[in-house]
Amino acid sequence: MRALIVVVACWVVLLPSLALAQSPEAEALRRELQELRRLQEQSQKTIDALSERLKRLEVAPAPAPSSVAPPAPPVSQGLNPPSTQMSPLSATDLLRPRQPFGLYQQRGAGQLLFDMGIAADFVGNLTQFNVEKAQGGTFQGLENRVFPREIELGLFGQIDPYASGVVRIEAGEEERGGDIAVHLAEAYLTLLALPYGTQAKLGTMRNRFGWSNNFHEHDLPWVDRPDVYRLFFGDEGLRETGAEATWIPDFLPFYVELLGGVFNGDNETAFGRRNLRDPLVTGRVRAFFELGDSQALQVGASVASGQTSGRLRSTLVGYDLKYKFRPDGWLHPLLTLGSEGIYSMRRTERDVDADEDGVVDFSQKQRRNSFGWYGWAELQPWRRWAFGARYDSTQYPDAPGWQWAIEPYVSFFPSEFLRFRLAYKHTDRQQRFDAAGNGGSARLVDELLFQATFILGAHPAHPF
Amino acid sequence: MLKRLGIVILVALAVAATAAPASHAARKLRVVATIPDLKSLTEAVGGDLVEVESLTRGTQNFHEAEVRPSMMLKLRRADAVIENGLDLDAWADVAIEGSNNPNIIRGGRGRIEISRGIEVLEVPTSKVDRSMGDVHPRGNPHFSLDPGLAPTITQNIVDGLVRLAPESRAVFEQNRKAFLAQLDQRMAEWTKTMAPLKGGKVVVYHPDMIYFLTRFGLVQIGMVEDRPGIPPSPQHLVNLIRAMKEEKVKVVLVEPWNDVKLANRVAEEAGAKAIVVASAVGAVKGADNYLAAIDYNIQTLAKALQ
Repeated sequence: MRALIVVVACWVVLLPSLALAQSPEAEALRRELQELRRLQEQSQKTIDALSERLKRLEVAPAPAPSSVAPPAPPVSQGLNPPSTQMSPLSATDLLRPRQPFGLYQQRGAGQLLFDMGIAADFVGNLTQFNVEKAQGGTFQGLENRVFPREIELGLFGQIDPYASGVVRIEAGEEERGGDIAVHLAEAYLTLLALPYGTQAKLGTMRNRFGWSNNFHEHDLPWVDRPDVYRLFFGDEGLRETGAEATWIPDFLPFYVELLGGVFNGDNETAFGRRNLRDPLVTGRVRAFFELGDSQALQVGASVASGQTSGRLRSTLVGYDLKYKFRPDGWLHPLLTLGSEGIYSMRRTERDVDADEDGVVDFSQKQRRNSFGWYGWAELQPWRRWAFGARYDSTQYPDAPGWQWAIEPYVSFFPSEFLRFRLAYKHTDRQQRFDAAGNGGSARLVDELLFQATFILGAHPAHPF
Repeated sequence: MLKRLGIVILVALAVAATAAPASHAARKLRVVATIPDLKSLTEAVGGDLVEVESLTRGTQNFHEAEVRPSMMLKLRRADAVIENGLDLDAWADVAIEGSNNPNIIRGGRGRIEISRGIEVLEVPTSKVDRSMGDVHPRGNPHFSLDPGLAPTITQNIVDGLVRLAPESRAVFEQNRKAFLAQLDQRMAEWTKTMAPLKGGKVVVYHPDMIYFLTRFGLVQIGMVEDRPGIPPSPQHLVNLIRAMKEEKVKVVLVEPWNDVKLANRVAEEAGAKAIVVASAVGAVKGADNYLAAIDYNIQTLAKALQ
């Protein structure tokens, strides 16, 4: 019993001293443990945050969720695009070098950064022998042939956050049985981040003169470009190299676009000066009106003024109208009506033989004004079929006289990317026409035209 | 000539400068949604702080919306554009590029895509080409009317709006919470209504209901379209009708913009019934907002499947 008391007494005496001796070590361990726990929590938080971020960025192919999907966590401010991406560019921004190829690294190897597509347009025509001889058909020199008119490779996409780019390369048969000619149809960039509702386009482009000039051959609603464009601007219409800018005011109750452009004036048919000191200047105003849910009307006026190769002024002004009726819920318009007209004012030089001795005595400058227009209607009662007709009436821009033509057609669309079209065109010229100069005549022309168009890959939608 | 050109440029700059809006302060955020479903959800989340317009109507096929200049004017004035993504509204790129509004171009602060975080269905696992019809390489994009995905979609909308108006974060989040509470309540009712019909077999005209059907346990056994966006061949219809009879399918779901007559004919041949669904907000009468559109589909389907 005494021994037990001694042991208990010793324990009571020694315990506080032992506790005192162990206390610093335990405290240190406790601190270490706490630190480890804190680090673990921190790591877990980081793992959770990164997992959430990964989850939000990935769109995993997975079976349907069996219950209500959890909401995605808010995107952290750090994930937001830098504010410079929306701000108008300052002069310093424009001068600062950028790294557009940085985007490639973000997307990873093997992915293209732009879209590409091919549009192939084959046309054919059958006409009278005398028209072929005179080379007076719609496709001059290619009468009674089927040929690739336009095989177009289109590449388009974002250049960087501030601009997009388009390159279109075309190949087609230009001479009977000749080699296929390849040329650059368009190559331009569009500056998207300009302030005050403006935008600029630079490069080689189809000009926004009128409504249909902007369309490539395969996108037109007819087999051929309207006569007024072919006679006033050449077979391909107006395509120039330069720059144009647009402005869309945001305070008007309806859509209005104002456009101004400066170009070389390379178009031989209407201009041909090819010099920026005397540039081709273009302008356009376009307005659009919604007439209820199912009808819409677009009206436009255009001007192009430049100099010919002989340094004479050539000015063309035009109007365009387009109306569509698309019943609510329809996948296609039921009725489309359109018209474009161009008034051409050209200064020309005429050789004068005053004393009628067969020798030109002097040149006389004169003004030649001419007008051409077309009207068009298309009915599409079914999704796959459209029926229409176009009437053309055009004075010759560089000679007296005029011609008219009527062209009914039918289009069949097996899908959005494949189209067949059959048309009959009757052209009546006021005078004999012999482009080949071999005694043929193409005053009255009857043609059967056909067209097959297909699209591979991407093709951007066309507005209205 | 150069002098005249210089004057023209100066005048244009002066006009542009005077036309610039003086201030955007103290006004509602102008938001443009590509489809009406997103308009309705944005209105729910944004409340009084936003003005929302839609580029399309519910009665339209969103795949083939025509890009009109009037869309460009709406987008020109917009602070933000809300797009579905997964190529459903790929046409919006053309309208946005034509709007001359740098705030909403791809990569801009006002560009909000709501497919982020969505578990996408029907993602092709083999090579994709157009022989498969209008197939979407990134998966089926018709998810907006699946009520189970509304939390993710609305979160994406809140995130996008907060980027433009960080001071309104609390209001947007509160609005979202209130909307989701309402949705949860309705979801309980919808789940209860659809529970006895689980496993029910349906045929769709176009594959735009798969998220909704999967959510409520219904099975899609076929499509009237041969392939997405491709009109059916007679042989395809014969096979479909035979399959419908074998599987005892009672319902063909058709969008108001699709060929309702053909859907009726197929249904009649197979001893089923064709019903026009609210393929989007505003597609049918009574589907004027997000909750009403889903409610319409639930009630119509439940009635037809019973």
